[in-house]
Amino acid sequence: MATEKADVVIVGVGGTGGIFAAELSKAGMKVIGLERGPRHKTADFAGQDELRYFQRQDLRPNPKRQPVTWRPNAKTRAVPMAPLNYGNQVGGGTVHYGAVSWRFHESDFCVRSQTIERYGASVIPEDCSVIDWPLSYAELEPFYDRAEYDLGVSGKAGNLQGRKIEGGNIFEAPRQREFPMPPLFVDNSARIFEEGTKKLGYHPFPTPRAILSEPYRGRPGCAYCGFCSTHGCHVGAKSSVLVTKIPEADATGNFKLITGAMCYRIHSDDSGRVNGVSYYGPDNSDNTIEAEIVILSPFIYDVVRLLLLSKTNKFPDGLANSSGHLGRHIMTHIGGRVFVAFDDRYVNMFMGPTAQKHTIDDLNGDNFDHSGLGFILGAQISVQGPGFDAGPIAASVGMPPPPGVPNWGAPYRQFLSKYFARHAALNAQTDNLPFADQMIDLDPDVRDAWGLPAPRLTYDWRRPSERARVEYMLRKVEEIGRSMGASHVWRANERPGSPGGHHQGGARMGGDPKNSVVNRYGQSWDIHNLFIAGGSIHPTISGFNPTLTMQALAYMTADAIVNRYKKSPGPLV
Amino acid sequence: MKHKYGGSRRAFLVSTVAGAAGAVATGTGLAQESQKPEEPAAAHAHDAVGKLGAFLNQDDSATIDAFTERLMPGAPGQPGARDAGVLNYIDLALAGAYADLRDFYRRGCAALEEHCRKAYSKSFAQLTAAQQDSVITAMIEGKVQSFTWPTSQAFFNTLRTHTMEGMFADPVYGGNKDFAGWRLVGFPGAQPVFTEADMASREAFTRGPILGLQAQTRRS
Repeated sequence: MATEKADVVIVGVGGTGGIFAAELSKAGMKVIGLERGPRHKTADFAGQDELRYFQRQDLRPNPKRQPVTWRPNAKTRAVPMAPLNYGNQVGGGTVHYGAVSWRFHESDFCVRSQTIERYGASVIPEDCSVIDWPLSYAELEPFYDRAEYDLGVSGKAGNLQGRKIEGGNIFEAPRQREFPMPPLFVDNSARIFEEGTKKLGYHPFPTPRAILSEPYRGRPGCAYCGFCSTHGCHVGAKSSVLVTKIPEADATGNFKLITGAMCYRIHSDDSGRVNGVSYYGPDNSDNTIEAEIVILSPFIYDVVRLLLLSKTNKFPDGLANSSGHLGRHIMTHIGGRVFVAFDDRYVNMFMGPTAQKHTIDDLNGDNFDHSGLGFILGAQISVQGPGFDAGPIAASVGMPPPPGVPNWGAPYRQFLSKYFARHAALNAQTDNLPFADQMIDLDPDVRDAWGLPAPRLTYDWRRPSERARVEYMLRKVEEIGRSMGASHVWRANERPGSPGGHHQGGARMGGDPKNSVVNRYGQSWDIHNLFIAGGSIHPTISGFNPTLTMQALAYMTADAIVNRYKKSPGPLV
Repeated sequence: MKHKYGGSRRAFLVSTVAGAAGAVATGTGLAQESQKPEEPAAAHAHDAVGKLGAFLNQDDSATIDAFTERLMPGAPGQPGARDAGVLNYIDLALAGAYADLRDFYRRGCAALEEHCRKAYSKSFAQLTAAQQDSVITAMIEGKVQSFTWPTSQAFFNTLRTHTMEGMFADPVYGGNKDFAGWRLVGFPGAQPVFTEADMASREAFTRGPILGLQAQTRRS
């Protein structure tokens, strides 16, 4: 058993943990980062292999060693879930993500108040627990800017200081300056999507992505190989934290990275502060780190689980849980996909970055009038591959054939051989409201490879308000498919009640310690030297991918720790 | 269990594989070809079946070989599971990465055989293609009583997924022989780079060879 001391210990060196590692060690703080997975090199990703990375999920937690269970409601027994879109390595999910990098809308920070103001309180479902964020877009904007420039995001502005710009996202919140790089090349599917959506009066634009469109800070531009989402980048053009922030942290000499480290407890004392963590090493050794500040930045499941597992007499319901809201208000991206296939042209979806290549934002957030629709919020609608990846395994396991064609036998072979290079998927990545009974707790029956209780999710998206939003979006997406001139347009099978992608919530931030777990800095209301980062602190999720917002918040908190907390530890709000 | 070596048919398929990418471009649409050819499926078997042994025994490999060929049947110019070596892929996977599915496969094969013996007094591999397709359809509909665990649907779904993996995974995993699967659908494999012109094209991608992790080949 080893004991080490540091100023800061970071649990989970992923998409946000790596930002803290770099920013705090650059400020002279001694930082130790615990990461349960390995540290890869760009050279490890030379083997572009759809089976290994897409189908067998090599960069994700192994669900047998690290199970997460799910049940639709409290009356059912939970069963293990399929692997989720989070990571199991230094850099976390940013190593294998599609790198889609959005700023949330101004309205995404105040869903509750804007909805009440525009449509009245009655359109919010009675049991919905939605609250506003405790900060505005304008307050976060400088940190979005910093994240885009520091990490490297490609895109085209659609709203420069209030001036709308055609060709960018005219619905985006105002930005102070352009993206650091122009958009990535627009591929064939994006061109067809662009034509089809424009005919319907929408405003398509290239999706901003944390992928270099040209050389930037010593890294090369994208090679458009197509082995992108679920894969590591073989040239290092994807701006993962692994290739951006970790080298910065290394260079300070103040950062120590420990891989293969499974944190199982956060220690706290009777004064009500945390003072370190314990973890199992790869050799099963039991180790402790004593630290002045604990930053908890794993995926949302491990945030909730660790806080619950770390209960003491002083904190009998788990750390940071005096509100009773820890583990609650889980949201995921629901919605569905529509497939399109063309008889008169090739699409070649397998080229270029695979995630959400081209987008319309017209039907997202509060960008359209919801009066009389029976739901609030919306979806980001994009063209992309049939799975996270766009190779033939993704197409054959992720895309059901059109109605009337079986998924096996000669007709299926003919369908796939004709349309593999002629199809595209349209995705309505649909917003999801928070409810207190959508939650994570500890599974009483299932344990992981370390003997710790598995996180258990209780969640079913199929509430009337959510179904109405999804159905509306699917009809709009089918319309887009027809407008694109597709010969065949068909829907994916409806999802069961299980969660979709981008799980968020569980340790939400708020302005009131009675209905939230942390303040705007991710700082626990109860324990001022405990900070939580990542999607768990989001009180709402928008139709947008969450990573850039998580990262902007991490920059903001790192800034507050360096400039304020370090000098005078205490509540920042 | 006996297997006739359909050598001439296989030779024909291999010789036409190179034309598959071209055939894709002129495909005739959906559901044109009959799913129930009358020719006995066993005649399609090739001699690799008897030589396997990483995990599957001879009977089970005959069953899996016949079953996966019905899921993705070969036709002139369109390589199927047998041409791609799907059986070899599954056998090697069960010996390694999918070792925890061994009992799933053993029990699934046993339930399938029990049903076929009862209903036809033959093994699955000995049935005609039309009979095999009827059995598979009944499995999908949950009408085959011999299955408990795995359920017939679970067994079908897993075999379907593994058939697609064996068709389309890189050849280093033992399937997708000579890029048969990638040729079938027109996938150029592990290309390190696509250009802006490649991405703007509305034609099939034919620039450069098909690339695998350890091999490449030039399309004709």
